[in-house]
Amino acid sequence: MIDINATLLAQMLNFLLLVILLRVVAYKPIVKMLKEREERIADSIKKADDDAAAAEATLKQYQDQLAGARVKAQEIIDKAEKRTREDHEASMQTTRAEIDQMKHAAQQEIQRERALAVEKLKGQVAALSIAAAEKIVSKNIDAAENEALIKEFIDQLDKDKIGDLPC
Amino acid sequence: MHEIGVRETVQFAGLTFNWETLVMTWICMAICLIIAVLATRNLKMVPTGTQNVVEALIVWLREQVATNLGPKGDFLCPLIVTLFLFLIVANWWGLVPTMASPTNDLNTTFGLALLIVLIVHVLGLYMKGMHYIKHFFQPFPIFVVINVIEEVAKPITLAFRLFGNILAGEILIIILLKLVPIWMPIPSVIWLAFSIFIGGVQAFIFTSLSMAYLANAVKDSEE
Repeated sequence: MIDINATLLAQMLNFLLLVILLRVVAYKPIVKMLKEREERIADSIKKADDDAAAAEATLKQYQDQLAGARVKAQEIIDKAEKRTREDHEASMQTTRAEIDQMKHAAQQEIQRERALAVEKLKGQVAALSIAAAEKIVSKNIDAAENEALIKEFIDQLDKDKIGDLPC
Repeated sequence: MHEIGVRETVQFAGLTFNWETLVMTWICMAICLIIAVLATRNLKMVPTGTQNVVEALIVWLREQVATNLGPKGDFLCPLIVTLFLFLIVANWWGLVPTMASPTNDLNTTFGLALLIVLIVHVLGLYMKGMHYIKHFFQPFPIFVVINVIEEVAKPITLAFRLFGNILAGEILIIILLKLVPIWMPIPSVIWLAFSIFIGGVQAFIFTSLSMAYLANAVKDSEE
């Protein structure tokens, strides 16, 4: 049952033959494939890292651009606001100037009207004085009556409010 | 079913061969090659099926070789892979009805063990030279006796462990089938399952010990 014979040598040769065959058929191609896969995985990882870095860079660039755009937009808004304010200011000034001018014109008009009125008044006063004088002269009896006449005349003047005009 | 312990022999060129062992060995070799061809027939970057299994086996054994033998032992990987694959196929082949394991013959196991030990010594002498011979005489010259006994014991234990386990498994399968009636298959099934386990374990033990012996010869002593 445990006799040793030439089978031992045959088994050694069989096994060595199998080693050689398996090495050629299985071991070499599989190890080669393993190496290839390792390289490919390393490549893939490297590529993924590179891609991530590139994506990061692009994102940063976009963010920078966005920030720049925001600053620019703010600038534009500021400029617009400033211009609006300036326009407003200018229009206010113009309006104020117009108002001033109108005021001035009105004052001049008033002045002119008053001068005219005074002129008219003067004429009337003169006429009235002449009328009063005529009355005094026609009725010149005594001083007391003169005085009374003048007083009456002046009272009549007060009654008509001619003297209320500002001089 | 063959008679236990009786081997059919053939004479060739004045030498005696155990015919059944040889035939079973060739069948197992063919199975190994078929597995290898199936695995590598259509190699893909993303492995599937047989390729996955064989690849996992090779990767695992390569790791074992790398840790035990170091980078210098890389060229021994095909030997270790073949040893494990052949032994596991051979051990399990005997569990197929009407078939027998090549490893139930001491000629097979002793042949493999001797081959390993031969490779160990040749490699040791080739890679380490006189240093390898010197280590048998350390720490004192008298230790050569113990060392030689150890070296002689290595192939014998290696061979008989595997041989005994597999032969015992097969004998017990035959005995169980004869003892237990056919309508009561549970003991046989349990023993078959256990034999599958034993076949795997013994293949692993034989391979591991071979690696350990090879490491002695290949690995630098400083490492």
